[in-house]
Amino acid sequence: MSELKILTKRAGLPDSVKIDTYLANDGYKALTKALKEMTPAQVRDEVLKSKLRGRGGAGFATGMKWDFASKNTTKPKFIVCNADEGEPGTFKDRVILKFDPHALLEGMAIAAFAVDADHGYIYIRGEYPEEAQILMDAVKEAEERGYLGKNILGSKLSFTITVHRGAGAYVCGEETALIESLEGSRGQSRIRPPFPVNSGYRKLPTVVNNVESLSCVPHIVLNGGEWFAGIGNPECPGPKLFSISGAVEKPGVYELPMGVPLRELIETAGGMKDGKAFKAAFPGGASSSCMDASEIDTGLDFNSLAAIGTMLGSGAVMILDETADMVKAAYVLTRFFDHESCGKCTPCREGLTWVKQVMAGILEGKGTEEDLDLLLDICEQIQGASFCGLGDASVNCVTSTIRKFRGEYLNYINKEPRVRAASGEKS
Amino acid sequence: MSVQELFSDAELKSIQEIASRYEEPGSALMPLLHYIQQIRGYLGEDEMAFIADFLGITRVRAYEVATYYTLYYTKPKGRHIIQVCRNLSCTMAGAEGIVDFLKKELEIEVGGTTADGMFSLVEVECIGSCDKAPAIMIDGDHHGPVTPESLREILNTYRGKP
Repeated sequence: MSELKILTKRAGLPDSVKIDTYLANDGYKALTKALKEMTPAQVRDEVLKSKLRGRGGAGFATGMKWDFASKNTTKPKFIVCNADEGEPGTFKDRVILKFDPHALLEGMAIAAFAVDADHGYIYIRGEYPEEAQILMDAVKEAEERGYLGKNILGSKLSFTITVHRGAGAYVCGEETALIESLEGSRGQSRIRPPFPVNSGYRKLPTVVNNVESLSCVPHIVLNGGEWFAGIGNPECPGPKLFSISGAVEKPGVYELPMGVPLRELIETAGGMKDGKAFKAAFPGGASSSCMDASEIDTGLDFNSLAAIGTMLGSGAVMILDETADMVKAAYVLTRFFDHESCGKCTPCREGLTWVKQVMAGILEGKGTEEDLDLLLDICEQIQGASFCGLGDASVNCVTSTIRKFRGEYLNYINKEPRVRAASGEKS
Repeated sequence: MSVQELFSDAELKSIQEIASRYEEPGSALMPLLHYIQQIRGYLGEDEMAFIADFLGITRVRAYEVATYYTLYYTKPKGRHIIQVCRNLSCTMAGAEGIVDFLKKELEIEVGGTTADGMFSLVEVECIGSCDKAPAIMIDGDHHGPVTPESLREILNTYRGKP
């Protein structure tokens, strides 16, 4: 499938971060159109019609979130861009942050107009210092040219943006934890409701949107919601940035329509590395359930992946080939979640340490078949009882690998030669 | 310790400028911790206490934030911090070998600092460079895919840097 050039259309241009490059390539046209020709309700309506769903992972309808926010008239009101992308396997927002920062700023300004917000924050992960500087420079440029600041383009909209760096905490990708962190606290999630649109930053109405979601907005305003809804799977449409890594020839970020089959994404990324056979994929980063070879023709979109028991998440596709060790893979991911658990709730904090220890035991050859039942039992309790969605999703890697690659676990447990695992045979 | 002993006038000015970006005093905490670490290499207790008092928040809050996030260091580190990603894409691409190589090359364990104070070695989770696996970060710079050979050269470029 040929790649799209919508969200990535400026990324390859020389000096793509500069406002002049941006302006010469349709930049700030959508903001101008929104401010001069549209009402906030019309902007929200186009976003609703586009069927844009949040690209950060949760997949909530952006237009609906904006509608809720617009109904809350408490002031001041905030737009917070979640640029924390900490989900292992995800590096797609980096393309926008690093090469097309003004697209994000324009999307945020349009969002501010649509919901009547007063200030914006970009919460960017601590591991992206270069991108943080690029954004700060872009904000300054946009202020100098009047696309941010007081009375933007002579309108009533006054809005500017503060770039705020995180400091290495996966949980801050969860919107309420991100808000806690933005307020200068430990990044631990809050109970919802109240949702951020009603009580977010400083307990004021706050819209939290992902980088890619916000960067879709100028295109929707310029070309119309219906145009956007016509791209890819009609149920959850649009262009999508996929980060693909692991056992492919050309790992990277590819822009393809929502619903592109996994097989075609792999082909776009140059095919399987060294011609090896495909064994499994985590389609939505570390927190998604794995897909096996029988599912390689599944479309990569929210609905199609949910239908086979996994999820699109942020579109972070990690590919494993025939030589991959699924038990080791699940252990590495569990170690990550155990490390990153914020510690607020017991199921996630204690449960993940327990899961990690049992997994380590299996890898060391000390496991028993009962351990697999034990693991599934702990995982079920973590999934049902965690405080936030990140906790719930943290054990998908374990449950899905036990379900689909039980034979590999048994190989460790029975200390048989690892022939079956190497052949990728399912048991 | 008095303010004058802790910070120069120029540094104080920077601290005030950063704090002025936020209406909510607590929001300036993380940017200020980043700044202190940038100029001092780590977050000392006196500096953290000063920042907390300056923002009008409790000192324990500054300390708990500093110890919660992996990119803040409350103990002195080497001049350059090597962070090796150990998440899935990097592990599949040989991150464990990279860690072993660095341990040998630098003669330190993970978490340690070389005798000359030049490098600290830490393992971290995903740094968003999965397309360049195995990937590492040194200070703010991403490198990858790295091999033992390329690492030798990369380390050398940092040896000359302040």
